Amino acid sequence: MKVLEPRPNKLGITGWFYAGNYKLERYFYILHRVTGLGILLFLVFHLTATTFFRIQGEAVWNNTMSFLSNPLFKAGEYLVAVAFAYHMLNGFRLILQELGFMMGKPVPPIYPFSDALRKKRRWTMAFIGIIVILCVIFFYDFIIGGW
Amino acid sequence: MKRYTYVWLWQLITGVLIAVLLGIHMVIQHLDKILVFFGVNLGDTTSWSSMIERSRQVTWAGVYVALLAVLLYHGLNGLRNVVLELTTSQRTERAITWTIVAVGILVFVWASYVPIALLNK
Repeated sequence: MKVLEPRPNKLGITGWFYAGNYKLERYFYILHRVTGLGILLFLVFHLTATTFFRIQGEAVWNNTMSFLSNPLFKAGEYLVAVAFAYHMLNGFRLILQELGFMMGKPVPPIYPFSDALRKKRRWTMAFIGIIVILCVIFFYDFIIGGW
Repeated sequence: MKRYTYVWLWQLITGVLIAVLLGIHMVIQHLDKILVFFGVNLGDTTSWSSMIERSRQVTWAGVYVALLAVLLYHGLNGLRNVVLELTTSQRTERAITWTIVAVGILVFVWASYVPIALLNK
């Protein structure tokens, strides 16, 4: 039996950021990855605060919280909230498409050809709309929370 | 290859679970001012008294430990998928996988100890 050799990875790391001929969804894929890794990085800091500093009692907790109420940290927290909103809803779109929903009906290839990507995009835009609304809601909460 | 299909399926399932559990976490911690409009006033959710009150409840400890478990699976498997694109060698792949599994178990034990320890505070 012929053994299939894995295709050499020509682009390497460049391939993570280069979308080539692909359209908007491919950039969403890159953003999905960046937000995912960003949230994972945040989790490391978040777990440090909620374990090492929380277990040491009230005084240390209050110190940590006043240290984290710095506007810079608040802005960072807002970015994590945005990343969460994006990653959750884009992931939801990806799950639905993985399971075969929102793909559009297959049509015979008769000229003028209809573009499957463009059909999907209506749903994509709906999801982006929800993401933007969530980001605005989070922003409102951060603003009236006094940063 | 069948094994990897289940790993991917669990990535989808944990994704949905995170959306629910982290959704609860985010609404309580970051949309508390919005909740006031709906008549739910939680006060300052990051204060020690509010935090410790939640920590004493078994339900909340359960939510946090469950959230930690699914987050670690989803996040570390995602990281693994990104890193594995750099290699085609089965040996390196196995080494990376087991390193990530070890890191995941370590972090889970480290971070799930705290909600359990805080139950009797």
